[in-house]
Amino acid sequence: MLSPSIRNLAISCAIFSLLIFVIPEDSHSADIGNCLLCHKYPGLSRVDEKGNLRLLYINEKTFNSSVHSRVKCEDCHTDIKKIPHDTAKKVDCLTECHITEPSTEKKFSHKEVQEYLDKSVHSIYDKKGGLKEYPEDMPTCKKCHDNPLFRPLSFFKGTRYGISEDSMSRCRVCHKKEEFIVKFYNHVTGRLHRIRNPQNIAETCARCHDNPDLVSKYGLSTKAVFSYGETFHGKAAKYLDERIPDCLDCHVNKGESVHQMLGHNDPRSSTYKKNKGKICSNVDCHPKASPKLAAYGMHAEFSLEQSPVQYFYTAFFIVLTGGTLLPLMGIIFLDLIRRLFPDAVIRRRKK
Amino acid sequence: MAKLPAIKIKDGKKYFFRFTLDQRIQHIVLFVTVIVLVLTGMPLKFHDMAWAAFVYKMLGGIRGAPIVHKVTGSVLLLLFAYHLVYLFYNIYKEELVPLKKAEGLSPLKVLKVLAAQPLVPNFKDAIDIRDLMKYLLFLTDKHPAPRKFSWKEKFDYWVPFWGILIIGLSGLIMWNKILATKLLPGYLINFSLIAHSDEALLAALFLFIWHWYNVHLSTSVFPMGTVFLTGYLSEGLMIEEHYEYYVEVMKKEGLEHEIRPPHGEHGHQARRKEDPPAAADTYNRREGDRTP
Repeated sequence: MLSPSIRNLAISCAIFSLLIFVIPEDSHSADIGNCLLCHKYPGLSRVDEKGNLRLLYINEKTFNSSVHSRVKCEDCHTDIKKIPHDTAKKVDCLTECHITEPSTEKKFSHKEVQEYLDKSVHSIYDKKGGLKEYPEDMPTCKKCHDNPLFRPLSFFKGTRYGISEDSMSRCRVCHKKEEFIVKFYNHVTGRLHRIRNPQNIAETCARCHDNPDLVSKYGLSTKAVFSYGETFHGKAAKYLDERIPDCLDCHVNKGESVHQMLGHNDPRSSTYKKNKGKICSNVDCHPKASPKLAAYGMHAEFSLEQSPVQYFYTAFFIVLTGGTLLPLMGIIFLDLIRRLFPDAVIRRRKK
Repeated sequence: MAKLPAIKIKDGKKYFFRFTLDQRIQHIVLFVTVIVLVLTGMPLKFHDMAWAAFVYKMLGGIRGAPIVHKVTGSVLLLLFAYHLVYLFYNIYKEELVPLKKAEGLSPLKVLKVLAAQPLVPNFKDAIDIRDLMKYLLFLTDKHPAPRKFSWKEKFDYWVPFWGILIIGLSGLIMWNKILATKLLPGYLINFSLIAHSDEALLAALFLFIWHWYNVHLSTSVFPMGTVFLTGYLSEGLMIEEHYEYYVEVMKKEGLEHEIRPPHGEHGHQARRKEDPPAAADTYNRREGDRTP
């Protein structure tokens, strides 16, 4: 017996399928299962068991600009075998998909990434291999990643998602099939730079690192993204500067996977006390910088516990500002009143 | 350059000399650079505000605005250096050289000359502040009678003066962080950022609230005082803001008989036309002649 919500979904899909008489012109090869038959309709949604509205609409153009556009729907949604289908299970990113990795000719999956993650500070396992006390607090794939979109390389003038017509024109000299050019171009260029801008990356990290519950639970010294946001780097990131360093630039050793981020107490970590000096002076940032520059407090906050000297130094300026402006504003206020009654005076009684 | 007359008469009204062309140009460069620096700096300090992104984009965004800020800051620092040279050269030429010829120089005499400069705060300012508070609190109807520069103007001068020093020095450290941290520890950048940003906020609020009230918004000058353009102050404002200096200049120019009474001596308004010298004499007798 189907539950009411699933039955409703099934009926909706059936109605939609009756209404369909035009197959989308730019239907994509990945949609072999014809999932877009229903999911192409904006507004396709349902209320799940928890009462949350789930949008089930897939924007085909957007999906085709994403890194997963070559992956068939059923490669990830492995539990869906028929249409209309039951409530789909959550996608497991470690599933082997039907893409073949060309150098090894093996089925592709994200297992390698999980191995890196397991060695990182974000692993659900502790150093002895046992489960951490709160494994649910550690990030999983989908906590940080959605379905990222290709975007133009930042040093080209992009005209649409993932495409720089300037560089595409070079591809077209030899390659004639447009779909191949677009896909190959996106695949290669998508890996030459970050798929997210620095602000986007900071926002992703903020989901946990600025969460007050997690910050206090783990005794972290700062709300890391908030304090990053108070530096010039963070402010430039906010104004969408692509060249500015984000969390990953400092917290991951150059050339290593960002999934293998290590804690600042780990001697292999880029933020370990002895290694810190190399962060700022790396070739892409401030190559001539002395190691002393890395003593800059990137995560400084107005906190007595974190730095009493900086706390009182900042407090001095706050008091100076208030102590200067408030009396002067008081005088302005009195002056405004006095100008209303220029002749008035409280006369003292003569003795 | 020919010395400008202490009093100019135009359409029968007296105007009192306040600022040379050089000083007026310095002031214009100062306020233009300060406004540009505030516009290109505050969107970074208040990056969470809705207006910040809009203002920053207008001024060149994250690529252009920092360049505008640095270039403008450099102009302001050059102005500051020029002002110091201008200031000390004039003191040397007009006061120290004659003193040297007359009496000879000693460190104590130099210090006395410096302390007697019209913009240096002194005890008379404390008296003027006390008198102003008495006036504002309706305890008297007599205005204070400041000298050439009132305590308000001294505030207007010294807040940006020290502000430029602190903001300029911290700005240079942040701009040249690689060089600075070859010599000094990296956390100095944190302290520079706090000083730069907080002192700039203080200076900006001070100028846009206090200074603008006194020179733009106060009913005496609204919508704008013109002394920063013409270099001359009207007799009415001279009486209201610098009465003691007004009396001094009038006497020096041989116009004792035309000295008008101070503001607030309301009974004198009618008497002034008939017997102005008597009114001034009344003031001088009451307050004592404190003119230097």
